[in-house]
Amino acid sequence: MFLLLLVALALLSAPTQGASAASAAPRPVVRVGTEGTYPPFSYADPKTGDLTGFDIEVIRAVAQRAGWDLRFTKGTFDSLFPALDAGRVDLLADQITINPDRSAHYLFTTPYTYSHGVIVTAAGNHDITTLADLEGRSAAQSETSNWTQVAKDAGAKIQYVDGLDQAAALLAQGRVDATVNDNIAVLDYLATSGSTKIKIAGNAGNAVSKQAFVFRKSDAALRDQANQALATLADDGTLARISQKYFKSDVTVPNAGKVEVKASDTGRSTWQVVKDTAWPMLRGALKGTIPLTIVSFLCGLVIALAVALARMSSYGVLRVPARVYISIIRGTPLLVQLFIVFYGLPEIGVKLPSFLAACLALSLNVGGYAAEVIRASILGVPRGQFEAATTIGMDYWQSMRRIVLPQAARIAVPPLSNTLLSLVKDTSLASIVLVTELFREAQVAAAVSTRTMALYCVAALYYWVICYLVSLGQHALEKRVGRFAT
Amino acid sequence: MTQGSAAAPAASLVEVTGLEKSFGGQPVLRGVDLTVEAGTATVLLGPSGSGKTTVLRALNVLETPDRGRVRIGEARVDFSALPRDKGSRRREIKALRACSGMVFQSHHLFPHMTVLGNLIEGPIQVQGRPRDQAVADARVLLEQVGLGGREDAYPAQLSGGQQQRVGIARALALKPQVLLLDEPTSALDPELVGEVLGVIRDLAAEGWTLLIVTHEVRFARDVADQVLFLDQGVIAERGGPEVLTDPREERTRRFLARVLEAG
Repeated sequence: MFLLLLVALALLSAPTQGASAASAAPRPVVRVGTEGTYPPFSYADPKTGDLTGFDIEVIRAVAQRAGWDLRFTKGTFDSLFPALDAGRVDLLADQITINPDRSAHYLFTTPYTYSHGVIVTAAGNHDITTLADLEGRSAAQSETSNWTQVAKDAGAKIQYVDGLDQAAALLAQGRVDATVNDNIAVLDYLATSGSTKIKIAGNAGNAVSKQAFVFRKSDAALRDQANQALATLADDGTLARISQKYFKSDVTVPNAGKVEVKASDTGRSTWQVVKDTAWPMLRGALKGTIPLTIVSFLCGLVIALAVALARMSSYGVLRVPARVYISIIRGTPLLVQLFIVFYGLPEIGVKLPSFLAACLALSLNVGGYAAEVIRASILGVPRGQFEAATTIGMDYWQSMRRIVLPQAARIAVPPLSNTLLSLVKDTSLASIVLVTELFREAQVAAAVSTRTMALYCVAALYYWVICYLVSLGQHALEKRVGRFAT
Repeated sequence: MTQGSAAAPAASLVEVTGLEKSFGGQPVLRGVDLTVEAGTATVLLGPSGSGKTTVLRALNVLETPDRGRVRIGEARVDFSALPRDKGSRRREIKALRACSGMVFQSHHLFPHMTVLGNLIEGPIQVQGRPRDQAVADARVLLEQVGLGGREDAYPAQLSGGQQQRVGIARALALKPQVLLLDEPTSALDPELVGEVLGVIRDLAAEGWTLLIVTHEVRFARDVADQVLFLDQGVIAERGGPEVLTDPREERTRRFLARVLEAG
């Protein structure tokens, strides 16, 4: 049943097959990985919710030139390179800075942004003005960002975060000393948030950093098409025009003048931001959180029942694998399980689309925990019930189905409800495997509006409502399965 | 209602030979032999730990004996030489189980089913009988144990005595050749014991073959055609109901004195 469900889902959400076919089809589909939470480069337009930004406009112009159809996939910065490795996207458009390490493993286009890094501190901090001052201080950085390496090399202790908005929040709260990031991104943050709690404290060295689109080594043909398109767009002034629109100067060539950033999001009250985000978050709940929960829970229960029975079997060949499975699921973080299913399995040729990968990982997780709940519930049915079933001539399966499981179900409802409630909230982890669910929508909105507190409160409210409905269901179900007990 | 008519007239309905069973190296049955004639009531007595319940549970293989033979009607299992392959072993045991019905000390009714549901579960699910026939038979049985009209109640809504009478009816619903009763009144409040014993007396009078483990000596005197006194895993004394009034064996005498004093 589980496999059937998986297959059905696979058909429903059939992944658009990738762009390695650059030569074959007239208009190849190219999948683009980007954060969507990194204004002004890649963010959701506050009015329409559509993906926009400097990098997005540039890659759209490139696609138009090169004759590609684009599909955008949004993920946290740290999920972008794994997604590229696993063949889930074909290129990254997210201000990826060229460095030797990355050049060794990936193919870069010619740069379309020239910028430099800056050190950001809390407004009241006067101790840090140069990279040398970072020695022994704490810096909030995204794990795989090149700015992290810069901070590390300067001797900073790194606190890992998901993006600039989180880093800025930590700075403002005095939890870290500094963060190193791209000049333009920081200017945008300052303009949008209007924050006076943090400031640009100085340049992160003198080196100019260059940002470009990045492809897998095997996609040289695509990269070359992109380079050709970029050259044309530079010649006809398109790149300069896009840059002027965002920065009032041309950052697509070296030595741009002073960069000015107008806020990506201006003049909305917090209430307006919450109102604008309410629907995208609800959509994330309806299209991500809730279906993920339902599918994973049902599949997980089927797995759990099979594993629980195997675990209690008199056959070692069933018992041992069941124990190992339960031990692995309960002994490893869900986050690691998600990463293995999503980024690891493609390496052995199993490439599931995001939603399916999240369902698989969550189902397996629920299966491991619920198996023990079900086992305990079966053991909670008095042994005499099994004996009574035996003496009226029932075999193992009849006793289970007719006598033991209906009584175990009653015992299992409260603890399984706990499992379900945990699952509702665990689906927020699916955002790291590129599933756009409730929490991811909140992150996207928070990044552009910087109204972190209000938006995460709304997200929490949504989760609470879903969980409240689940607990109402639990009471109804408890009444139903317990009607025979007085 | 004479049971076991299929067996040859000379043979007993139940025949147990050389039954042995140990739990964790501790011998509980050390060679038990017994026979039960069709249509009679046999009472199994003995101090606790003497192995009475184990004998009963060996007859329907809730405990698998280590050695010995059990025959009920035409079904026989030789536990000293069980078939190697699991399929035939299971078939033999299943055939033996089908010959007996069991009444437990603490009834073990299915709490998620109504009284009627408890009675028709075996006939429909195991014996594959048509539902309306099973329901009709179950209603007759419920009348017989004095619970006509309570068929839609759940076990938890009944008194202990009523529950045990449903337990008896459930066992009878399968039309077994012999009814095994494991201390059917021991878990009941004293004032409820009478109604259950009354039902069992009726069954004996109707000619059901009964094998009863009980401490109710006075009741045993009334219904028993045969009395078996079990001590330390062997049958120490056997005979008619006179064993209860005038035992030959000293240990039987001591046991009866203790039980009658307590009762």
